[in-house]
Amino acid sequence: MRAKIVKYYPLIPVYAAYLILFLIGKNVPGMWQLMAMLAFYCAIGQAFNIFLGMTGYVDFGYVAFMGVGTYGMALSIVHLYQVEWLGVGIIVIGLILAVVMASLLSIAVGAVALRLRGAYFAIATIGVNEGFRYFIEGAKIWGGSEGIIFSGQLTQAFGRETASVLSTLWADIIIFFIAGIAAFITIYYMRGKIGYALTALREDEDAAKVMGINVTKYKIIAFITSASLAGSIGAMAWALKLTYVFPSEVFEIHYTIECIIIVLLGGAGTLLGPVVGGLIYGLSKYWLTVVLPGFQLLIFAPIIIIIIVAFPEGVIGVLKRRVRGSVLEKFII
Amino acid sequence: MALLTLENVTKRFGGLTAVNDFSLEIHPGESLAIVGPNGSGKTTLYNIISGVYFPEEGRVIFEGKDITTLPSYKRAPRGLGRTFQIPRPFGSASVRENVAVGAMFGTLSGTVSVDESLAIADCYIERVGLFPHRDKAAGSLTPVEKKLMEIARALAMRPKLLLMDEALAGMHPKDIDAMVAFLQTIQEEEDIAIVSMVEHIMRAVVGFAERVVVMYQGAKLCDEPTEQALCDSRVVEVYLGHPPGEGHA
Amino acid sequence: MIGAQFAGNLTQGLVLGGIYGMATMGLSLIFGVLRVVNVGHGAFVMVGAFIALWFFTALGLAPIIAIPAAFAVGMALGFIFYYSAIRRLIAAPELSTLLATFAIGVLLEEVVKIIFGSEFRGYNWAVGKLDLSITVLPYSKIYAFIGSVAIAFLLYLWFRKTRAGTAVRSVVEDSEGAKVCGINVGWMYALSFAIGIGLTVASGVLLAMFIPVGINPYMGGGYTLKAFVIAVLGGLTSPYGAFFGGLIFGLIENGSYTLFAMIPGVEPFALTRFLSFIILLLILLIKPTGLLGAK
Repeated sequence: MRAKIVKYYPLIPVYAAYLILFLIGKNVPGMWQLMAMLAFYCAIGQAFNIFLGMTGYVDFGYVAFMGVGTYGMALSIVHLYQVEWLGVGIIVIGLILAVVMASLLSIAVGAVALRLRGAYFAIATIGVNEGFRYFIEGAKIWGGSEGIIFSGQLTQAFGRETASVLSTLWADIIIFFIAGIAAFITIYYMRGKIGYALTALREDEDAAKVMGINVTKYKIIAFITSASLAGSIGAMAWALKLTYVFPSEVFEIHYTIECIIIVLLGGAGTLLGPVVGGLIYGLSKYWLTVVLPGFQLLIFAPIIIIIIVAFPEGVIGVLKRRVRGSVLEKFII
Repeated sequence: MALLTLENVTKRFGGLTAVNDFSLEIHPGESLAIVGPNGSGKTTLYNIISGVYFPEEGRVIFEGKDITTLPSYKRAPRGLGRTFQIPRPFGSASVRENVAVGAMFGTLSGTVSVDESLAIADCYIERVGLFPHRDKAAGSLTPVEKKLMEIARALAMRPKLLLMDEALAGMHPKDIDAMVAFLQTIQEEEDIAIVSMVEHIMRAVVGFAERVVVMYQGAKLCDEPTEQALCDSRVVEVYLGHPPGEGHA
Repeated sequence: MIGAQFAGNLTQGLVLGGIYGMATMGLSLIFGVLRVVNVGHGAFVMVGAFIALWFFTALGLAPIIAIPAAFAVGMALGFIFYYSAIRRLIAAPELSTLLATFAIGVLLEEVVKIIFGSEFRGYNWAVGKLDLSITVLPYSKIYAFIGSVAIAFLLYLWFRKTRAGTAVRSVVEDSEGAKVCGINVGWMYALSFAIGIGLTVASGVLLAMFIPVGINPYMGGGYTLKAFVIAVLGGLTSPYGAFFGGLIFGLIENGSYTLFAMIPGVEPFALTRFLSFIILLLILLIKPTGLLGAK
C-alpha cells in the first residue's frame, strides 16, 4: 500500500504550485485574472501533454476539442435554462455534454487518423479544427457563423448575481480542478501499464507491436483522454466564463500553437513540464501584453525552434538529468 | 504436436521472392539454428513468423491455430518472442522498464501488475548480467549490453518460442560460450523453443542447436541434426560462398 | 444554361487548380527528398502573396515580375531555415520536423504581421479579360495559369536535364547509394529544400495574381490544408502528381461550390472548405500514398 502512494509523490510539487496560484489569486487584490489565466495554460498544457508528450504524435487540430466543448456547455444552457428544478445541474450537464462531444469527435477523428503513422496523422489533423468550424458555418447548425450568445439565458436561469459568480469565479475555480485532474491522470497513466505501452510506441512503434502492444488501442486511449479534458476546459474557460461562442474564435489554430509552446517549453512527456511551461508562457504573455502587445508568438516561435533543435526535452527534461541520483529525483518527473 | 508450423510460405516483394515455398516444423523446447548467407531470406522469415509481414502464399500455424494474418501484437501474448538483429531498445526508458514491457505484454499479459512486471524484469536482468545497469536509460548502453537487454526483454515475455536474430553477433567468443550455456539453462527451466538465426558463428551453432536449417535464396536447403549438417557438403558450400552444386575453386 | 454555367465554373476551377497544383509542388519535392512534411507551407505561400502585393503597390511593378524575385527570396529562406534548423533534425524523430516547420510558419506569419499589419489587403491589376462563351477569364488569371504551367515545366526540365536535378532524383531513390556514388547528399537536401521553398513562395505570387484580395498574414492556413489534400491526392512524393492533383482539386472545389450554392439553407463557401477536409480524410483512409503516386 505504501508503495502505491509513493508512486503519486510527484503530484506534490504540481498540486503545491496550483495551490499557490489559487491562494495568490484569492488573497492578493487584482491577481485573480492572472492566476486564472496561468491555471488555464497549465490545464490545457497538461491535457495536450497526455497526447503529444506520451505518444509523440502531434494533433494540429487540437483546439477543435476545446471548441466542441464550448458548444456543449453553450447548448446545454441555451436549451435547458428554463428548466427550473435543474439549477446548477445545467452547468453539470453542460460539462458532461462538453466531455461527451469532445470524446465523440476524438473517436471520429481517431478512427481515421490514428491508423496512420506520424506525419500522415499530423496531416490528417491539420484540417480538423477548420473542418469542424466550416461544418458548423456551412451547415448553419448551432447558430452557424453567428455563434451563440447565452448570457441572457444564463441570467434568466440563475438570477443576475449567481450568474455573475458562476462566470467570473466558479468557471475559473473549476479550471483549477481540471488542471489537478489532468495531472492525476497523467501520472496514473505514466505509472501504469498504459504509460509503458505509450513510451514503447513513442520510441519504436514497430518494436512495440512485436512486444505485444496494441498500439492503436493505446493511442486512442491517450487521444480520447486528451480530447475530453480539452472539451471540459473549453466548456469552463470559454463558454461559462465568456457566455458566448463564435466558431471563428473557438477553432483558431492559435490555441493549438500555445499548447505546443507550453508542452515543448516545459518538457513533453513529463508531469511537471506543462506546469512549468504554462507558467512561463502565461507570465510572459501577460507581461508582453503590457509591454509589447501582440508580440508573444513572434518571440516564442524562434524559442520553440531553438528548443526543438537544441533542448528537445524541455526545461523539466534538462532538470531531470541534473537531479538524477538525488532526493529530488522522485519529485521531478 | 508441433509448436510452430510453416506450410509452403512464400513472400514476394514486387519482383523479388524473398521466401520461397518454405516449410518447417518447430517442436516445443527445441533448439534450432537457421543458417544462411546475407540475403537468404532469414529476416523476412522471422518477420513472417512474428507478423510484421503476411505471406502471399502458405500458412503459419502456432499451437494448432492459424496465425498467418494475425496482427503482430496479438502474437506475443500467445507465446511468440523475438529479438532484433540491431537491438531496438525503448531508448528513453530504463533497462528495468524496457524488460518490464516484455513481462507486461507477453504471455503474462493481463495477469501481472506493473510492480510484478518490474520484479520479473529484475530477475531476468540479473540473469543476463545487467543488474548494475538496470536504472540506466536503455539508449545509453553499449551495443553488447543492448543485445543482452534485448534477450532479457524477450525472455520476460515468457515465450514458448523465442526467435533470436543474430543475437550473438559482435560478441567475444568467451561471452558466446556463456550465452549459449545461459540459453540452454533457460530452455530447460522454462521449456522454450529457441530458434537462433546465425550467419557465421560456428561456435553458437555447434554448442547450441540440436538441429540446423540452412536457407539459401529464400528456400530451405537442408534440415537436419547439427552433427550431420556440419558434414553436409551443401552446408559447407553455403558457408564458403559457393552456390551448391558447383565445384570447389 | 446550367450546363454552360457548370462548364464555365469548371474552367475556372481548372485554371485555379493549376495554380494550386504548382503551389503544392514544393511541398511534394521537400517530402520526396527529405521526408520532411513542411507544415508551415501556407505561411510561405503567404510570403509570396505579400511580395506580389508589395511589388505592385510599393514598386508599381506588374506581379509577373515578382515571380523570379519571390523564387529567389524563397530559395534564400529555404537555405537559411535548412542550415539553421532542418539539417539538425533530419535524424531526429518525425515529430521534431513537424513541429519545427510548424513553428517556422508561425514565425513567418508574425514577422509579416509586424511589418505589414494584420488587415486584409488587396490590389487591382486590371489588364482586361478574355471572353470565352462559357465564362470570362481575366488576363491576370490566365497569366497566372501560364506561369504555373511554365514553372512546372521548368522543374521537369531541371530534374531531367541538369546534373543537380538528376542527383536529386537519385537521392530520392536511394540516399545511401547516392552517397556511394559521390553525391553530396547534404547539399542535395539543402538544394531541394531551398528549391521547394522557392517554388512555394513563387506560387504565392501566382495565387495573388489569381485572387488579389484577402491578403493577410494569416491567409496561409487555408492553403496548407489545400496543399495537403492535393499532395495526398497526387502522391506526397511526386511534384508532377501534385500538379495534376491540383487540377483535380480545383475542379472539385469549384464544382462542389456550384453544387452547394444550389442547396438552400447552407453556406456554400464554408461547406466547400469542409469538403476538402473530408476528401483528405477519405484519401488517407483509402490510399495514403496518394491516388496517383507510387511508393
